[in-house]
Amino acid sequence: MTINKVQKNGKLILDIEGRLDTATAPQLQGVLIPAFDDCKEIALDFAELVYVSSAGLRVLLMGQKQAKKTDGTMTLQNVSDEVMEVLEMTGFTDMLTIEQQRNFL
Amino acid sequence: MSILSVKNLEKRFGDNVILKNVSADIEKGEVISIIGPSGTGKSTFLRAMNFLDPPTDGEVFFDGRLITKKNVDAVRRRMGMVFQNFGLFSHMNVMDNLSAGPVKLLGVSKSEAEEKSAELLRTVGLYERARFMPRQLSGGQKQRVAIARCLAMSPEVILFDEPTSALDPTMVSEVMAVMRNLAKSGMTMLVVTHEMDFARDVSSRVFYMDEGGIYEQGNPEIIFNNPQRQKTQAFIYNIRSYNYEVESRDFDYAEMLSGVENFCFRHAIGKRDANRLQLITEELIINIVTPQYGACSLAVHFSEKQETCNISVSYKGESGNALDGAADDLSVSMVKNSAKEIRHQYADGINTLTAVL
Repeated sequence: MTINKVQKNGKLILDIEGRLDTATAPQLQGVLIPAFDDCKEIALDFAELVYVSSAGLRVLLMGQKQAKKTDGTMTLQNVSDEVMEVLEMTGFTDMLTIEQQRNFL
Repeated sequence: MSILSVKNLEKRFGDNVILKNVSADIEKGEVISIIGPSGTGKSTFLRAMNFLDPPTDGEVFFDGRLITKKNVDAVRRRMGMVFQNFGLFSHMNVMDNLSAGPVKLLGVSKSEAEEKSAELLRTVGLYERARFMPRQLSGGQKQRVAIARCLAMSPEVILFDEPTSALDPTMVSEVMAVMRNLAKSGMTMLVVTHEMDFARDVSSRVFYMDEGGIYEQGNPEIIFNNPQRQKTQAFIYNIRSYNYEVESRDFDYAEMLSGVENFCFRHAIGKRDANRLQLITEELIINIVTPQYGACSLAVHFSEKQETCNISVSYKGESGNALDGAADDLSVSMVKNSAKEIRHQYADGINTLTAVL
């Protein structure tokens, strides 16, 4: 998995590419949670994310909680079909904020 | 009359008996795939037939005539062979590789040989490479040249000794395509291969070799879907399975994952199903079974007939469904939602959870 950080209008976009699973979830956790210290508005771009397991979903929940704690927001954008299927299956689509139109930079 | 007949063939290297008492009749136009585990004499069988490794005992008849050391050269002109490592003449360009045999051995004129070679190179898609040297070609191209060179001698039978084993996976299909066309054209072919798709789709008969001989033979439908003997069953089952032993919670996750990914690729399992398969495997092993039971074993099995994939995780202990005892509701719901059906079995102190995809 690779994480690319993009700053745009005071918003931080994390482009996540590859797999978010047992092996890689800690890596996202290490980037995402501290990011709320500097930025209130964080978007996770999942266009290139092809797989997510429960380990990845747990990090998303932690991110959501951290956002609340710091009065920030966390949004998922451009979620790929494979990942969307898992989010729907687990009811995460109701818990997280998801924006599906592409944001052109 | 059979084009090729093998009677009681035996091959020993010193005291080591590789083949014993092998007999087979091959008819004109048959495509025979020879499959089986490594070291069971598949290549030796092929090489004994054209006397590259003459049999220690027994007889081989080509078109009714007994092959002997004296007439073997004449027989080889009618029975070509394609090798794993291509065997091209490295100092000759592609065109000369094809034309040399007909000119020197069949007495064909150079212009006639080159005309036919050009035609053959077109059929294998390499006419544009006619003036290239072998070292300038990719592995797949070299093997296609080797097949064309074999055809230049107008053989009646072609023996293929693992023709794609030395190739990059990306180049296997271009060679297989040429072989499929050749089979369609009616060529008699004996192919030692690990390409099970070819064996299943193209051959008229499959020889499964084991225990020093043809252990079981039959049409592909029988051998692949309903093998009768125990070792054939085990071999066929194994090529459709992936097994991994998880010894503790600190196991090598990346290794297991790449095994599962490879398995999906090999069986052309679609992206969506491959994702579900990986998800079920990861959740079952990491979050459901190992936290409760420790070591376990994974077996993924693909059934082409039913178009289903079974993911089984076995663990020792008292009878118990790990899904019921799991602390992790999220993982349990992911497994239940991804699988069509989940079964728990208990026998001889071993629990098996099977998820059907």
